Amino acid sequence: MATERRKTENTTTGAKDELAQAAARPAAQAAKRTSASEGDGGRLTLENVSARYGAFRAVKDVTLAVRPKSVTALIGPSGCGKSTLIRTINRMHETLPGATVSGSISLDGVDLYSSDVDPVRARRVVGMVFQKPNPFPTMSISENVSSGLRLTGGTSKSEIAGIVEDSLRRAALWDEVKDKLNQPGTSLSGGQQQRLCIARTIAVKPRVVLMDEPCSALDPVATLKIEELIRDLAAEYTIVIVTHNMQQASRVSDETAFFSMDDDRAGYLVETGPTAEMFTNPKQALTEGYIQGRFG
Amino acid sequence: MSMQTGTIAKLLTQPTAGERARQRVNWTMRILVGVAAFLAILPLIALIAFVLLQSAPFLVPSFFFNNPLDTSPGILNAIVGSLQLTGLTVLISGPIGIAGGVYLSEFASPRVVAIGETAIDVMLGVPSIVAGVFAYLILVPVLGFSGWAAVVALSILTLPIMMRSTQEVLRLVPQAIREASLALGVPVWKTALFVSVRTALPGILTGVILAFSRALGETAPLLMTARGTNAENWLDFSTTMNAIYQYSAAADDLLIGQAWATALVLMAIALTINVLVRGRTVNSRTA
Repeated sequence: MATERRKTENTTTGAKDELAQAAARPAAQAAKRTSASEGDGGRLTLENVSARYGAFRAVKDVTLAVRPKSVTALIGPSGCGKSTLIRTINRMHETLPGATVSGSISLDGVDLYSSDVDPVRARRVVGMVFQKPNPFPTMSISENVSSGLRLTGGTSKSEIAGIVEDSLRRAALWDEVKDKLNQPGTSLSGGQQQRLCIARTIAVKPRVVLMDEPCSALDPVATLKIEELIRDLAAEYTIVIVTHNMQQASRVSDETAFFSMDDDRAGYLVETGPTAEMFTNPKQALTEGYIQGRFG
Repeated sequence: MSMQTGTIAKLLTQPTAGERARQRVNWTMRILVGVAAFLAILPLIALIAFVLLQSAPFLVPSFFFNNPLDTSPGILNAIVGSLQLTGLTVLISGPIGIAGGVYLSEFASPRVVAIGETAIDVMLGVPSIVAGVFAYLILVPVLGFSGWAAVVALSILTLPIMMRSTQEVLRLVPQAIREASLALGVPVWKTALFVSVRTALPGILTGVILAFSRALGETAPLLMTARGTNAENWLDFSTTMNAIYQYSAAADDLLIGQAWATALVLMAIALTINVLVRGRTVNSRTA
């Protein structure tokens, strides 16, 4: 219901108002939301996670707890393994030749890397939105949204039509595309394509949504729309977002984890905490230096 | 100030001796490469003009609709035979070649890919006469001179073309598209088939058409396998290639003229296919 209302607001207000709204949205709102949805499932626990490309260790011993139905931002300089780390959560990392993962990642107590978890199944529960919008070029807008359901099977045609509309509404895209659902997904603008990709991701009803710098290819207005959307989605999904943009991290996230790179170029977790605290009063000097723009 | 602008004007407008020499070299080179380019396409122009002139008297409608033994002889049997042969060849080597290309691009480990690519390169380098000799030695003793032996020889020749082209166009499918599908929880084989192959389909079909045109213009394997007959028939193929070969060897002006006309028909078909492929690739690039 709340998403519904937010979306109509979106379409009636101009870009300027959106900027003002986003700037005025205080952390209090975030606090209220997270306390209400605590314990609903979708808790991610990373323990001693290391990720390697062949012999090179890109991520070193990351231990991190992600609260259910909250937004956790991963920040840090380029090359510190943030993207690699979130790709271990939906088991995409291992699809690259020579890539391996050690340590354990569990979702509500189930180890995603245990032998009885099929990686294909894990990826249905843990969805992912990529850096560059990547709609399927051969599919229409509605086919893009339904692609996951159609390709994994088990959903009837009549159900699919409803899910397509629902997903597009949640992704705040329905009003813009409802009259051209049969046009190619690639005909949309960059920001719309990214929201299409988000609709496609939530159509398969994941519990966790990973976002790998979802706004880095978008202009500021499109970025704000996505950020608003991320806030809305946090009511239902556990969201982990990698971002280079610290303002973005402070705007959208409840928790922030700061990563850095060791002498051996392995990324490691420096510290993690509530976003407001991380940005005003970080414990580590390294974090403070990065946030104040002294390096990275 | 005025002196300076004067110097600049001089710099801009009065070339030095070295610059004049460079300009002369430039022009000489331009003319040389222009002549070379003209020489390169001259054979094509000459060929088309010559074949057109020689075959013009024979290009009457009956030429396309009659058989060689009819009162006004034609090459219908050859055209039909060629299409049967190449059609069957594509039916056999198409599915195998495409599946092989999909395997190399989507499933094989880097090591297997390296081995597979080497094998394809070797097969692409096999002269067509070798494929012909192979079919001649293995199949002709069993089947006699037959279109089937020719189909096997042509399939051997087109298989690596199909595999290579399929693999190449699949390689052009962005990894981001595959990852999008995998991240939705779509199994690898479905991602390969309904996302990768689907996205590359126009390119894969272009490869099939190119293989078709290669099979259509192939000579050596046919002379060693199918030979050809003078009657229209099914599966005892006569081919346009064979018609040209046999007619041009005949001591008969009528038949030699028909050889020219047949050559023109073959050229027209090959040209049409090439233009078709060009159109396809241009379209897919702009789309």
